[in-house]
Amino acid sequence: MSEEWVENARMIVESARAIVPADGSLERVRKVRFEGPGYDRAVMQEAGELGLFLMRVEEEAGGLGLGMRETCELARVLGRGLLPEPVLAAIMAGAMLQGSMPEEAMTGAQVITWAWQDALGSLGWKGGADGGRIKGTKQAVQGAAGADLFAVLTDQGVALLPRDAVTLQTAESLDGGQLCTISFDSEAEILPCPTAQSVLEDATLAHSAYLLGLSERALEITLEYLRVRKQFDRPIGSFQSLQHRATEMKVSLELSRAAIFATARRFDTGADALTRARGAARVKLRAAELAMHVSREAIQMHGAMGITDEADIGLFVRKAMSEANLFGSPRLLRARLAELLDEGDAA
Amino acid sequence: MTDLPDFNAMTDADFRALARDFVETNYPDIPRYTLGRLHWDEVKPWYLVLSEHGWICPTWPREHGGMGLTAGKHLILIEEFERYGAARVNDIGPVMLGPLLLKYGTEAQKAEFLPKILSGEHVWAQGYSEPGAGSDLAAVRCEAVLEGGDWVINGQKTWCTLGMDANWIFILARTDKTVKKQAGISFLLVPMDAPGVTTRNIENLEREAEFCEVFFDDVRVPADHIVGGVNEGWTAAKALLGHERVFIGAPRLSAAAMTRLKRIALRAGVWHDPVFRDRYVALQCDVADLGDLFETYVDKLRGGQTIGADVAMLKIFQSELYQRISELMMEVAGEEAGLAQAPEGDRQLHAAATWLSARPTTIFGGSTEIMRNMLAKAILELPS
Ligand SMILES: Cc1cc2nc3c(=O)[nH]c(=O)nc-3n(C[C@H](O)[C@H](O)[C@H](O)COP(=O)(O)OP(=O)(O)OC[C@H]3O[C@@H](n4cnc5c(N)ncnc54)[C@H](O)[C@@H]3O)c2cc1C
Repeated sequence: MSEEWVENARMIVESARAIVPADGSLERVRKVRFEGPGYDRAVMQEAGELGLFLMRVEEEAGGLGLGMRETCELARVLGRGLLPEPVLAAIMAGAMLQGSMPEEAMTGAQVITWAWQDALGSLGWKGGADGGRIKGTKQAVQGAAGADLFAVLTDQGVALLPRDAVTLQTAESLDGGQLCTISFDSEAEILPCPTAQSVLEDATLAHSAYLLGLSERALEITLEYLRVRKQFDRPIGSFQSLQHRATEMKVSLELSRAAIFATARRFDTGADALTRARGAARVKLRAAELAMHVSREAIQMHGAMGITDEADIGLFVRKAMSEANLFGSPRLLRARLAELLDEGDAA
Repeated sequence: MTDLPDFNAMTDADFRALARDFVETNYPDIPRYTLGRLHWDEVKPWYLVLSEHGWICPTWPREHGGMGLTAGKHLILIEEFERYGAARVNDIGPVMLGPLLLKYGTEAQKAEFLPKILSGEHVWAQGYSEPGAGSDLAAVRCEAVLEGGDWVINGQKTWCTLGMDANWIFILARTDKTVKKQAGISFLLVPMDAPGVTTRNIENLEREAEFCEVFFDDVRVPADHIVGGVNEGWTAAKALLGHERVFIGAPRLSAAAMTRLKRIALRAGVWHDPVFRDRYVALQCDVADLGDLFETYVDKLRGGQTIGADVAMLKIFQSELYQRISELMMEVAGEEAGLAQAPEGDRQLHAAATWLSARPTTIFGGSTEIMRNMLAKAILELPS
């Protein structure tokens, strides 16, 4: 008898098949990169119509009230398909706004994202809100280049800004998307958001699950290559040095998977603040290292084929490079864990 | 060039000063410190300047138009050019084909091809690899059949670096299918404009067309476009182990990357972070130790000794060290690690460019896996 979340996750993933093809085709992913915002707004609309953005909105507020395990399972599947759309960002916007999530954002008629990070290389946000105004800058805003609405986090709560209230600065990222900075200085209603910190931790976890999915698929593609590519009249996967290294990737992958879903369970069943903070950092640290580890090995094991843009494995590598350091690089996360080392630790 | 000074008679210091002055004076108005390779139309002015001064083929004997440099002097030249950030010219002719022709070519071939490499009239590509023959190079299938005084070539080559810029290509072709793989291969010279030659560019991970595929469809070349005898191609290609292969293990690439890493760390505000320093210092020791190991090989060359198969250790350590440095760069660069373009247009700060450019170094010129296999067998004498 499986737990309830497993069934929920299965249903969510089933419906997400509309936007992430089960056959693993990356044709669409290839087409939208380095074009416009780097993703397809129509796919965001589809995701909205599937109800995905309601996952983390409570049932009382008209949402689905699903947990982090379901969210991570969805994120993993999105990562397998390298989905470029900011679906997770829209889910997090919903988590912050709850009942105040505008109808057109829920349905995906308008693309919503969230903005939290004050400065690159750091993990927080400070002021910005003063009376009825918000003023400031947010970094690495996912999907911002094609967004209509921005849920902006301040220490007073969250403000919902329309596109024309923000100035957008973009820089092309390796995966063909955009790394965006937004600046704003406008009147806005600040809605209280007592769960802001936990939304960031949830987002970190979901992002880790995306990296897990990406790594999982990249490993599968590499294993397939090891089986079919022949040199010296043998599949290269028969060479023991490659077998051992493939095994190492599998070990990292399963460590990451276990850590993500165990942490998601802790989040779902009410973990204290310290457990949450540590969990999010640890899981993200592992996932980022996993994604880069698999990327390095995948290229190497593909030989010159791995150096080409036309081989699909490169799409995974570029995505890993673009996203591994979002929500904190491994260096930053280890520093964060070091800060937390003595906290709440009587022993 | 008849009026070249006797470089080898100069002291190292004098030669270094000369090389430095040469590059500073003569380097044309083209990019410096590029991570990737420049195409022929960009790098041609530099090639021609080197050619005019008789500096394009440093290792060739002087009677064939080279500088006749010893390995030690050649190293100095490379160091000074790299210090200045001079772009690497398309050097497949000067570095690979020239020495091979000098050793195995007929007098007629030397007279025909060497001057055209020197002048830049012929730009060469290397056509060894095929879709089915990478690490297992002896498995080449591209076929050449002697027919009415011509070699008729059918098949495909791939991963030809800067092949789109070349007007000639040398290939390893199968000329006997009935014998052991290595014994049925010949080395052929083929003009790229011969009827039946077509190419297709391949974009690399940085989305630049740096290599290409070359297809041969009933391509005819005269019978004398073979180097080293029929079915002797494998021997010729394998014997092409000039002292250049030592330089692939030089610590310069890594040392330069350490400077970039420092700048990235400064930008990220972690240069004084003890955790970062711990890792930086460990890498710095690796670079220094590699430098010392490299020097032992250079000393051998200076002393006129030949370099054995063990030199592969240098390539393994250097290429993997370069990769490890690039990995720390990526971590330290934080969110900016994911940028497609250099932050603030400064290539030095672009962690991803180093990371990507470091990848092929463990694949081409013998992958690290193949080198390790070879070392285990040839040097450690482990059983197979
Ligand atoms: C940037 C670049 C430029 C190049 N330029 C040229 C060029 O100008 N001309 C040219 O002819 N070629 C060129 N090459 C091709 C290069 O020589 C080949 O990539 C190389 O020989 C490896 O072959 P492969 O790519 O087919 O990989 P494969 O041989 O298919 O190897 C795939 C993986 O399997 C591993 N492997 C294979 N055999 C073994 C084994 N026995 N034990 C353990 N592991 C093994 C490899 O190490 C690698 O990790 C270039 C390659 C690159 C990347």
